[in-house]
Amino acid sequence: MKHYAVKRLLQLIPILLAITFLSYGMMRIAGSDVVEQKMENTSGTVSQEMIDAAREELGLDKPFIVQYFTWLGNLLRGDMGDSYVSGKPVFSTFVSKLPATLLLTFVSILLTVVISIPLGIWAAVKQNTATDYVIRVASFIGNSLPNFFVSLLLMYLFAIKLDWFPVISKGIGLQSVALPSFTLAIAMSAKYLRQVRATVLDELSKDYVLGAKARGVKFSTTMIRSVLKASLVTIITLLTLSIGSLLGGTAIVESIFMWDGVGKMAVDAINMRDYPIIQAYVMWMAIIYVLVNLITDLSYRFLDPRIRLGGIEQ
Amino acid sequence: MMKKLLAILLVLCLAVGILAGCGGGSSSGASSGSSASSGGSAAAPAKKTFVFGDTTFNAENEEPDINPHYAYSGWPCIRYGVGETLMKIADDGTLQPWLAESAVNVNETTWEIVIRDNVCFSNGKKVDAAAVKACFEHLIEVHERARDNLKIDSMEADGQKLTIVTSEPNPILMNYLSEAYGCIIDMEVGIPENGCVVGTGPYVATEVVTDDHVSLVKNVNYWDGEVHIDEITVRTISDGDTLAMALQSGEINAAYGMAYGSYPLFENDNYTFTSIQTSRCFWGMANLHEENPGYAIMSDPAVRKAIAMGIDKEGFVNVLLNGYGYPATGAFPDSFAFGQGVKTVSFDPAEAKAVLEAAGWVDTDGDGIREKNGQKLSIRWLTYPSRQELPLLAESAQATLKEIGMDVQINCTKDHNSIRKDPTAWDVWFSANVNAGLGDPANFFDTYCLDSSIKNSGGHHSDKLEELAVQLRGTFDPDERARIAVEMQQELLDDNSYVFCSFLRMSMIMQKGVTGLEAHTCDFYELTADLDIA
Repeated sequence: MKHYAVKRLLQLIPILLAITFLSYGMMRIAGSDVVEQKMENTSGTVSQEMIDAAREELGLDKPFIVQYFTWLGNLLRGDMGDSYVSGKPVFSTFVSKLPATLLLTFVSILLTVVISIPLGIWAAVKQNTATDYVIRVASFIGNSLPNFFVSLLLMYLFAIKLDWFPVISKGIGLQSVALPSFTLAIAMSAKYLRQVRATVLDELSKDYVLGAKARGVKFSTTMIRSVLKASLVTIITLLTLSIGSLLGGTAIVESIFMWDGVGKMAVDAINMRDYPIIQAYVMWMAIIYVLVNLITDLSYRFLDPRIRLGGIEQ
Repeated sequence: MMKKLLAILLVLCLAVGILAGCGGGSSSGASSGSSASSGGSAAAPAKKTFVFGDTTFNAENEEPDINPHYAYSGWPCIRYGVGETLMKIADDGTLQPWLAESAVNVNETTWEIVIRDNVCFSNGKKVDAAAVKACFEHLIEVHERARDNLKIDSMEADGQKLTIVTSEPNPILMNYLSEAYGCIIDMEVGIPENGCVVGTGPYVATEVVTDDHVSLVKNVNYWDGEVHIDEITVRTISDGDTLAMALQSGEINAAYGMAYGSYPLFENDNYTFTSIQTSRCFWGMANLHEENPGYAIMSDPAVRKAIAMGIDKEGFVNVLLNGYGYPATGAFPDSFAFGQGVKTVSFDPAEAKAVLEAAGWVDTDGDGIREKNGQKLSIRWLTYPSRQELPLLAESAQATLKEIGMDVQINCTKDHNSIRKDPTAWDVWFSANVNAGLGDPANFFDTYCLDSSIKNSGGHHSDKLEELAVQLRGTFDPDERARIAVEMQQELLDDNSYVFCSFLRMSMIMQKGVTGLEAHTCDFYELTADLDIA
């Protein structure tokens, strides 16, 4: 298994090279650059000489390949560069946004688990009853509502009407993370509870459940010891994929709640063509997805011993 | 297995709760609350606190902190009362003494400026000519735009008197020194890592977090009267709906940059508006390049006149902007001397149709769009979405111009700056610009209308305009400058190559009980010593 993990980690190197090269190229194709974006945002009326000087200072006057390899060379020396927009070091800017994103991810996933797993199981057990219908309709509604709309509804109810939580974040804390994480959890729970329901129903239809019932085993025991255990692989797969996307930030929710995480930073950087920040973000996403997938694969081994990794333990 | 899982979840919940509880204490200054009298124990005197929500204070606008010598960071410096300039721009565009007692133009290149004797930095150090000189020396060393504008050749400090010699005549030197980058800061302290420069304003910056907030406290050494508010937090709030809800919930006391659609929420007794006409103008230029495929259309004076007559400026302002704008005639608002007395055609669809008919543009195939020599009367309208008014203006014009038989194809894109440089890719380009932010008209013509202008993307040329521009550059008398500027605008308007649609009515909304918060034409001076809260 150690060999498998090392092999997967080594795969990160070509992935990072390819993805950073592609993102650099795509930003160039998108047209305009940070100097033009700044001019537009500030209605700046500066001379062409100043614009050219700004481009030269940032190295934007050089060919694309030269720019990319300059950036890569600096990266290999441990220098991620400075933001074109704020002039601040990319690494410290990025690291300063991580605690907020990590907390939002953790609380959102926790809420999603707490909401979707019990409701999914309940809907499966009460299949085709009023309870099942209500849960499924709620799931449809939750899936249909866009995040920004849910955010506004929650703000209106919990911040303006009930005054329980703040509209705008007051730093990294439980009170401030409540509404953004609840917003994300509603959308994810709506999706996952249907998956949980389907997985549990699938397990319930298997012969071993019928056999257990015939042997007089309590339904709750069958459910907890066998059905849920067998369903965990599917549930864990779904949740870990969500963790990956949440760690990449949720720009809309972060912007609405003024939650200062990496998603908002990435969108701002893309709008401003702030290449060093974009590259840092792209690398972060690649690392996250490779690691999260690796951890998921490794967890299968513990959840279901029948699963073997990388075909090496057949 | 399940029991273990549940146990792990519970432990994690507990851990998050504890961590979150600890984290709350170290949150930003905004956590001090928005109540005017919050904070402090019963025994301690109540501190007055104020929270201001602003959509524009962010790195995207080149305002990562409040260091006036970096990009546009001077804007938050002067807006939030940390820095002050030698002269102040009044709402009619004239300059008024501020840190300077007087500024005299000795000859075309020499200015003598006397600094007030009673001004000191927030650290208590007296402001004299040497301190101002040191500040400007650093400014022109690091700030390219300032260096380009000011054209300072040398400076001499003698007590409170500062003599500035420019490398060429610069009639609007004092206007440029009233720009936000002209805030006087203590260069003995320099530019700290955290960006909290030491200025002369009523407030002292204690913490700046890019794209999040700036914390301010009262300047106990303020030279110009009593400061009423003890602590201020300016929160960056990029989302318009969040800004509205934060004001509704009382988390902020006042807001800048509210979306027009949210205004009705605050048009009641619990809130107050402060509004003013600014020189931010929504306007367009025609593409007159011969290589433009639409040249035959755009070079026809009748078409340009019909466009000018076919845009319903009043309707746009009153309906689409909910009345929060002013219809424009020329490039500058009539609150400025150089914005008065210009004339142009007004919205008149019937007359516009007649003008087109007379020029041979007729709808021969009955599809509602006119043709001439086999060419449809169709124009490509280039604009961009980052100013919420511009797409609305494009749609409004599309509807009203169709009424007179003109088809409008809208291209609303963030890449308009690249596209406008391609003379074959558009017919009219509409943008929003502050045309006289420093109370002087020269910059607008220099940037958009002359042969040498970097943004004269339509290739407009007028011999008369070029001559007038030369006159303007050498004229120091403000009245004469205004007269020339009016003549220049009229030249543009008579040609109809430039159409000026409306000016932004800039507003701030505050809770009832907030006083001393006023909107200004130049968009500076938001948080002043006059600010107070009941």
